[in-house]
Amino acid sequence: MRSRPRPATDPVPVRHGERWARWLFIAPAAAYLLLFFGYPVVENVVMSFQRYTVTTFYTGDAPFVGLRNYAAILSSSRFPRTLLTTAVFTVGSVLGQFAVGLALALFFRRRFPLGGVLRSLLLLPWLLPLVASGTTWKWMLDPDTGVVNAVLRGLHLSSSGVPWLTGTSQALLSVVLVNVWVGVPFNTAILYGGLQDIPPHLYEAAKLDGAGSLASFRHITWPLLRPVVSVVLVLGAVYTVKVLDIILVVTGGGPADATGTIATQSYELSFRQFDFGRGAAMGNLLIVLSLVFAVLYLRADRRARTV
Amino acid sequence: MTSPARSSARRIAALLTGILLLVPAATGCGHNAGSGAAGGEVTAITALDYYTDESEHTQWGDLLTACGRTVGVRVEQTSVPGASLIPKVLQQASSRTLPDLLMLDNPDLQQIARTGALTPLDGYGIDADGFAQGIVSAGTYQGRVYGLAPNVSTVALIYNKDMLAEAGVAVPRTWDELKAAAAALTRPGRYGMAVDANATFEGTWQFLPFLWSNGGDERQLDTPQAAQALQLWVDLVKSGSMSKSVLNWTQADVHDQFVAGRTAMMINGPWRIPALEKDANLHWGVAPVPVPRLGQSPVTPLGGEVWAVPQNPSKARQEKAARVLSCLNSPSNMLTLAQEHHTVPSRTSVAAQHAEENPSTAAFARSVAAARARTSELGTEWPKAATGIYTAIQSALTGEQTPEEALSHAQQTATGH
Amino acid sequence: MKRSPGRGGLLSALVGTVVLALMLFPVYWMVNASLQPAGNTLGGGWFPLHPDFSGYATALRDQGHNLVTSLVVALGSAALSLALAAPAAHALARFRLRGTNVVLLGILTTQTVPSIVVANALYGAYNDLGLLNSHLGLVLADSTAGVPFAIVILHSFMRGIPEEIIEAARVDGAGRLRVFRSVVLPLSRNALITAGVFTFLFAWSDFLFALTLTTTDTVRPITLGVYRYLGAHTNQWNAVMATTVLASLPAAVLLVVAQRHVTSAATGAAVK
Repeated sequence: MRSRPRPATDPVPVRHGERWARWLFIAPAAAYLLLFFGYPVVENVVMSFQRYTVTTFYTGDAPFVGLRNYAAILSSSRFPRTLLTTAVFTVGSVLGQFAVGLALALFFRRRFPLGGVLRSLLLLPWLLPLVASGTTWKWMLDPDTGVVNAVLRGLHLSSSGVPWLTGTSQALLSVVLVNVWVGVPFNTAILYGGLQDIPPHLYEAAKLDGAGSLASFRHITWPLLRPVVSVVLVLGAVYTVKVLDIILVVTGGGPADATGTIATQSYELSFRQFDFGRGAAMGNLLIVLSLVFAVLYLRADRRARTV
Repeated sequence: MTSPARSSARRIAALLTGILLLVPAATGCGHNAGSGAAGGEVTAITALDYYTDESEHTQWGDLLTACGRTVGVRVEQTSVPGASLIPKVLQQASSRTLPDLLMLDNPDLQQIARTGALTPLDGYGIDADGFAQGIVSAGTYQGRVYGLAPNVSTVALIYNKDMLAEAGVAVPRTWDELKAAAAALTRPGRYGMAVDANATFEGTWQFLPFLWSNGGDERQLDTPQAAQALQLWVDLVKSGSMSKSVLNWTQADVHDQFVAGRTAMMINGPWRIPALEKDANLHWGVAPVPVPRLGQSPVTPLGGEVWAVPQNPSKARQEKAARVLSCLNSPSNMLTLAQEHHTVPSRTSVAAQHAEENPSTAAFARSVAAARARTSELGTEWPKAATGIYTAIQSALTGEQTPEEALSHAQQTATGH
Repeated sequence: MKRSPGRGGLLSALVGTVVLALMLFPVYWMVNASLQPAGNTLGGGWFPLHPDFSGYATALRDQGHNLVTSLVVALGSAALSLALAAPAAHALARFRLRGTNVVLLGILTTQTVPSIVVANALYGAYNDLGLLNSHLGLVLADSTAGVPFAIVILHSFMRGIPEEIIEAARVDGAGRLRVFRSVVLPLSRNALITAGVFTFLFAWSDFLFALTLTTTDTVRPITLGVYRYLGAHTNQWNAVMATTVLASLPAAVLLVVAQRHVTSAATGAAVK
């Protein structure tokens, strides 16, 4: 073996063939990711320029129609509503999850008996299949027979019950609530982890300076938690904007389309109306939205670092 | 970024096909429907329907077997759930694995015929003489008959006799009577009336008797007639005689509410009768869907499944399938099916005979005579109008829009793309 | 931060228990509903005083094979995800190849791709390849959640394996594959379990691919089984809820059995 100067990046001498062997470790995963993420994204772009109908299934004909699918979606009278619903659902869910999650994380930071057990049991809602939670909530929120309205009536908070699944704004509130419920454990866990990384001596010093708990939250906890907060919020937004399961199970996008988001619309177009072209165009809008969140995140992250 | 993206896309696509082409061979997934090569003797054909309910599946299976025997083939029956049928058929259409004999819900036939996946029945010497006009029009695409149904059905008003008697209410015949009866029948924990106002074609189907009986028409939805029909449903919900949850109920849910005693009346079809008969304590009756004014007769949508012969490289298999189809539609089998499923034979002469023998379901029989196919006017454009209609129902019942606003919106949906 | 729980500690424990009880009430309600007798009561009592298991009998009869399907698909997906992710994570953590950052960025980018987009494109491809309605098709599609996640988890763990251990094995003459198999994998046992648990749960919980990439009930995961049950069996809520409980069981069991792994992944997953 003819020895060559060691490259600084690798502690072991590398032959040409061996460099290949190293890539073989990555190749299967890379191939998989390209096939199941790269291909679908590219294929979706192609499909969004084609016209798919029921007939396409038999004949295979999906003529090129340029931007017509996008034009149809954007000019549809439903679209502004869908966009607004998506925004309300995403922002509502993310902020709700974050607020409750932060409160719980701060609460669990105090050490108390059972704290650890309670904290891990709290993860259950996050681990359950969304269909299972959605089904349960649908049953609980049923306006006539659900337990939520039964409690409200029992406490005389509402005489007729809240139309959780049959009122348009209430149904949107319902899916947000369910999604918050699902997301709280994740938020709590991450924010709790972030809180653990804050050195305790800072708090002790603040205490010596006479700072109350509110002041130490404002001047120590919040600034030091900021990076974790932005991760939580952006991840939350990226994951929430594409949520489909909960909405399909709890409200099916209704009533009167009140809980239809871009994601559910994309499903509806492709798999209920078999218009894969428009479904793909709708899906691409979703990707663009996700990317916007990602870019916002990167910028926020950079700013947080330079400050 | 365009050219590298495209070339990598092609590479990925090639890779995908390369790897995955091996898969069906390895797992044995690529199934060959039925048996017998294109040229050889046909001993078996395949059939696809949505009769998954155990008793229905058996009854149809027996009939298919019997009909197969008369033409010398074994019929391999597959049943998929109703909601899965069209996705399944489309998937089979594109992978060229369609069954030899295919059952379709009648409003779907023209859509599928338009794709070119079905064959006209006149090619096998089958005609539709003597069949009720409604079902023939549903089975016809561009002037040729592609599908025939042995029996048909429609919806009617099903009511709980005990509850009506207890409230001292007569079976409602008109809209006003319906509103009064529903209000009188409403109690804590119970509604007077239930319909399916779901955001699906099922919701549309349940609304059609009200729309059509009032002179409304799917070609022009923004009319006073349509608005009055929708107003009726809105009034029922607003007065509390009908649960607002009708927005989310399927026909199966409506049925369950009725069986559970949570509604005194409902709109539903004769296919519910076997389940209703199971409960000995439930005393129910059937009446025609109430009409706007006394003396009118209801115009209801025609329900029923048509059978068709899909495209197939083997002429011999198609011939066999067509002969089985013809056997299913024979007068005697129509009678059997009508008995078993509480439906109405689709040949008018057989229907008359059946009505005489079965007075209990006469309400359905009478309604079917005047029933209209959903696709008779708009053909393959029907799904757009149907979408417009259920959207309007949802908007009006949630109070988002008045019936007039909702229907003018529906008209845009129906005429748009 | 006190050692012994004072009065404040007990109060916190009490408050914590109440909060948790509220958060987990839906889970209780699901179990409660599943133990109510069959029929059309639609309401049900607050406590399953007379637990009735007929809902489970119905659920197992109607959905038993769907549970098996879910199990097969989830195990398959966990195995595939680990098999793809472990070597990749090792390479990314150890070899310092040029392009490592690009690969990592690519993996993060996959998180912005919605499943509906993947399903939309896969439907056509699967149809051509005969992968609709197949276990393999679902395993491959469900792993879209598992593979990136497993790479991230394993990568961050494997980066922490001291270089000296690897170096020592290399000096003993072990090849790259040997080092990976006999040194790195055993050391990464905990991370592998964590990744395995989660990739299993991801696939088990999948709904969208089950919904879009199957057209019959021959291969139907339990999540789709529950969804289809919803529209057709409203008079048997106990059976629907029993199915829901059965579908939730793996999550609950894994949370108890593999608690440490679950908790660590929950905190580690996002803060990479």
